[in-house]
Amino acid sequence: MRYAYFPGCSLGASASDYDLSLKAACRALDIELVEVRDWVCCGASSAHATSHLLSIAMPVLSLSHAEADGFERLIAPCLACLSRFKVANKEMQEDPEVREKIHRAFDYQYRATVKVYHPLEVMTEEGMMEAIRSRVRKKLSGLKVVCYYGCVLTRPPKVAQFDICENPQSMDSIVRALGGEPLDWSYKTECCGVSMTLTRSDIVLKLSSDILRAAREVGAHAIAVCCPLCQANLDSRQIQIEEKYGVHYGIPIIYFTQLMGLAFGAFPRELGLEKLITSPRDALEVCGLM
Amino acid sequence: MRVELTEDGSRLAKRLQRITGENVMLCYQCKKCSLGCPSAYAMKLKPHELMRALQLGLEDQVLWSGTMWICLSCETCNTRCPQDINILKLIDGLRIYYLDRDYYNPVRELPMMHRLFLKLVRRFGRIYELGLVLILNLKMVNPFKDTDMALPMFVRGKLKLLPHRSEGARELRMVMSRLEAMEEEK
Repeated sequence: MRYAYFPGCSLGASASDYDLSLKAACRALDIELVEVRDWVCCGASSAHATSHLLSIAMPVLSLSHAEADGFERLIAPCLACLSRFKVANKEMQEDPEVREKIHRAFDYQYRATVKVYHPLEVMTEEGMMEAIRSRVRKKLSGLKVVCYYGCVLTRPPKVAQFDICENPQSMDSIVRALGGEPLDWSYKTECCGVSMTLTRSDIVLKLSSDILRAAREVGAHAIAVCCPLCQANLDSRQIQIEEKYGVHYGIPIIYFTQLMGLAFGAFPRELGLEKLITSPRDALEVCGLM
Repeated sequence: MRVELTEDGSRLAKRLQRITGENVMLCYQCKKCSLGCPSAYAMKLKPHELMRALQLGLEDQVLWSGTMWICLSCETCNTRCPQDINILKLIDGLRIYYLDRDYYNPVRELPMMHRLFLKLVRRFGRIYELGLVLILNLKMVNPFKDTDMALPMFVRGKLKLLPHRSEGARELRMVMSRLEAMEEEK
């Protein structure tokens, strides 16, 4: 199946490991990704705090390129982009006033025909679980993982229309299909605070520390994530958190696509595992993967 | 505190309804928003208190609380509100309305960040992470903030020194100018 691919600003820079591993996992599952022509930033939290129309226009620009190039489905791996895209599509479909204004600002008239998906949505579609199971060469046996879904993958349900809002299961089912052991915990959809990471780091450190603590309390070897912003926060701020709260965590924050790649038999380097700041070595030794 | 309810007092609520389509009067103070809010602990007015202040038209309290800038936009309150009030949309309405207005803001760094973010995106079409961090740190008079975090990221090739320019930037600038012209018309 062919998809337009919107990597978003993070995957080109601080989350190149997510980009690498996502592409590897998609290749293995015959999901073809074609990068959206001349895409621009989705506007993230800054556009919707500045102008409502701008927050719709920025995603529409990239979506309209995908539509004009004949794509019906688009994959956005970052939750900030994903959420802004879904909101933009919804408003373009349902609000005639917004639609009219956006059309006035653009030369191309976007018809909102491009459906937006997170990789987890595509990889849990019907038949995909069997495909994933059949590609596994090295099971993640013995690896205890907590799946962290982040804030807006399932919220608000009216917009996200995916998974169980307060207790999502999609990533857990993928980890299970890879032979790993997903653990139950109550921080699956708690916010990590990333929208203030540059400005109010004190809040970010507290929220991220709560997540790390909860993961350790249930005995997880690793936290699996599906968003470059959550990853950056929990991984690169982990040293600061340990310093501030005087606890040692050392919990690696691994993209679920990296876990898939490992189980499918790819080399750690092909998946950017050496780019993780908290080393995943100990965790992966548990299941003999490193 | 004693509050006189006047016609004038509902102006704020009405203005917000015009901008966002959301009605603050629907709130009956069940506090689900505040209980689920991850940054409520850092707010002077918690989300349900913000809603009350909006109902009563207490504009100064709303502004001085900084609540609208401490909100992380995580959408938990919207998801759980039994009255289906889109609280984030209301907060965005406040942010947009007061962005260029003069008032005492206890969390000035947030609107500063949003402005800088959009300025960089307007120029390059994409976000220039390193540039955003460096300029923002200078503006916050905290130039060495997070340098302990930057080094390990740099070593692993996670920090790009130069911005990436998108070919779509020109189109984005055109769209932004047209939107600005439309918003000035009003």
